[in-house]
Amino acid sequence: MDVLLEVENVSKFFGGLGANQNLTFNIEGGEIIGLIGPNGSGKTTLINVITGNYTADSGRIRFIGRDIVGLTPYVINRLGIARTYQVVQPFVGMSVLENVATGALFGRSGKNRTLKAGLEKANEVLALCRIVDKRNELVENLTIADVKRLEIAKAMATDPHLLLLDEVMAGLSPKEIDDALEIIAKINKMGVTLLVVEHVMKAVMAISHRVIVLHQGKLMAIGNPEAIVKDEQVIKAYLGEKYVTRRKKSGGS
Amino acid sequence: MIMQEKWRVYLIIGVFLLILIILPFMSNKYWIRIFTTIFMYTTLAQATNILMGFAGLVPFGNVVFFGIGAYLTGILMVDFGLSFFPALIFGAVVCFAFASVIGYPILKLKGHYFAIATMGVSEAIKQIATNIQITRGGMGFNLPLIPLKIEAAYFFFYFLMFSAMVLVTLATYWISRSRIGYALRGIMSNEEGAKSLGINTAYYKLVAWGISAFFTGIAGGIFAYWYAYIDPPSVFDIGIAVRFIIMLLLGGAGTIIGPFLGAFFIELLTETIWSKFLFLHLGVLGAIIVLVVIFMPKGFMWFYRQRFSLSALLENVRKGKL
Repeated sequence: MDVLLEVENVSKFFGGLGANQNLTFNIEGGEIIGLIGPNGSGKTTLINVITGNYTADSGRIRFIGRDIVGLTPYVINRLGIARTYQVVQPFVGMSVLENVATGALFGRSGKNRTLKAGLEKANEVLALCRIVDKRNELVENLTIADVKRLEIAKAMATDPHLLLLDEVMAGLSPKEIDDALEIIAKINKMGVTLLVVEHVMKAVMAISHRVIVLHQGKLMAIGNPEAIVKDEQVIKAYLGEKYVTRRKKSGGS
Repeated sequence: MIMQEKWRVYLIIGVFLLILIILPFMSNKYWIRIFTTIFMYTTLAQATNILMGFAGLVPFGNVVFFGIGAYLTGILMVDFGLSFFPALIFGAVVCFAFASVIGYPILKLKGHYFAIATMGVSEAIKQIATNIQITRGGMGFNLPLIPLKIEAAYFFFYFLMFSAMVLVTLATYWISRSRIGYALRGIMSNEEGAKSLGINTAYYKLVAWGISAFFTGIAGGIFAYWYAYIDPPSVFDIGIAVRFIIMLLLGGAGTIIGPFLGAFFIELLTETIWSKFLFLHLGVLGAIIVLVVIFMPKGFMWFYRQRFSLSALLENVRKGKL
């Protein structure tokens, strides 16, 4: 597969704090990339930098060969990068269908859609995200699990090539997480590349083709899930130094 | 069931318009004048609704377009020899353009800051109008009198304001159903989220304010020709803006019918109270507005939808309240 997104030496500082420092990695078309790291390691900042909500202080980001640093969020969305927010951002006061139709009427190919086509597209996406039966509800009446699905649906309605999911499984029950994983797998099968930020480790490891680990703003490790769970540095960052020494002593795996 | 409801709405609108069309033939000049004023305020409230009701921005200085529309219509007629309708349209187009130019920086502001900035613009333009030659400054500006008999002039302005009111309502209805409406409601609800869905929020806010300014300018132009005399304090009066914004809030911002309810309610109430309580009328009017705002904070239309709509009724049945 071709390279979809190239991130090269990207840094983002807030005052003296290096939220992202010299990050370099590629995402290939069709992949599911897991992005993990402890709280404050710069995962959400990285997403914001890619989508143009923040502008990178240095470095280059290329999407399908085009430099996208400095472009505004709506332009980047129209190029084909969609996202969800960790703190959900639904359109309160509108129905679920209207929320998703808004995505379908704008986004990458929304310009060519009539209102009717937009609503049809919205229905399709709602079926994909399994909330089609809630389409006439106001978003303020939804459960957290449904709002998270709505956020995926809104982003998917903009016809992205690359979808960035920021903790869409946080606060869900095990059953709901399984559902979310199935939805993500289905989206990936449709040819959409995904970058999934998640704290639910079991979930990330289950679906990711590759995993990126951030630690204190720096790229700590990148590789397939099996390698990542055995990486000493990663274990240290997540479980602490003591755990590593204890594990060594006991000689266990 | 829903089809029936739709036809009932059409029927009510039809009867309402028919009454307004017949009304001037059945009543006297006094009432024709009052209703022309009501139509003017409905037009202004509806024009403001486009920005305030859908995009959630409160343009307190929108009256600036009323003044610009009024003055340009006058100046183009007197100094440039245009006839009324071309002058009116040209003035409104300038309002659209002016909103786009000042909107570019101002629409980046949010909430109260936007409201205050528009007031600043309005006051600045008022000062300019008071101090330059072409507006005849503070002396005021005389427009040519309409070459019609008095009776006919009353009818002319009545139906002209009526048409402006219908046109701006159709425009609002169209916007609410179009992709602009989706964009604006997205912006009102969550601007950050809207941007992430590929919505050029700055552009859609400009379009909304431009259309709002256009119709506000139309109302101003008609007003100028109707009164035949304008001066800066009367057409750039923030009080006018406060009035149509109160009407919009009372009726229900973000609904098509709201501006009608608000304008008709306030104007007719003012008339009745004024004739009944000559010395206390502003106090009584204020008290009524306070009561309405306490009990229906989102306006008549939202109150109605909450309490009396079919879906609300079913909701109450489900909850066992009925």
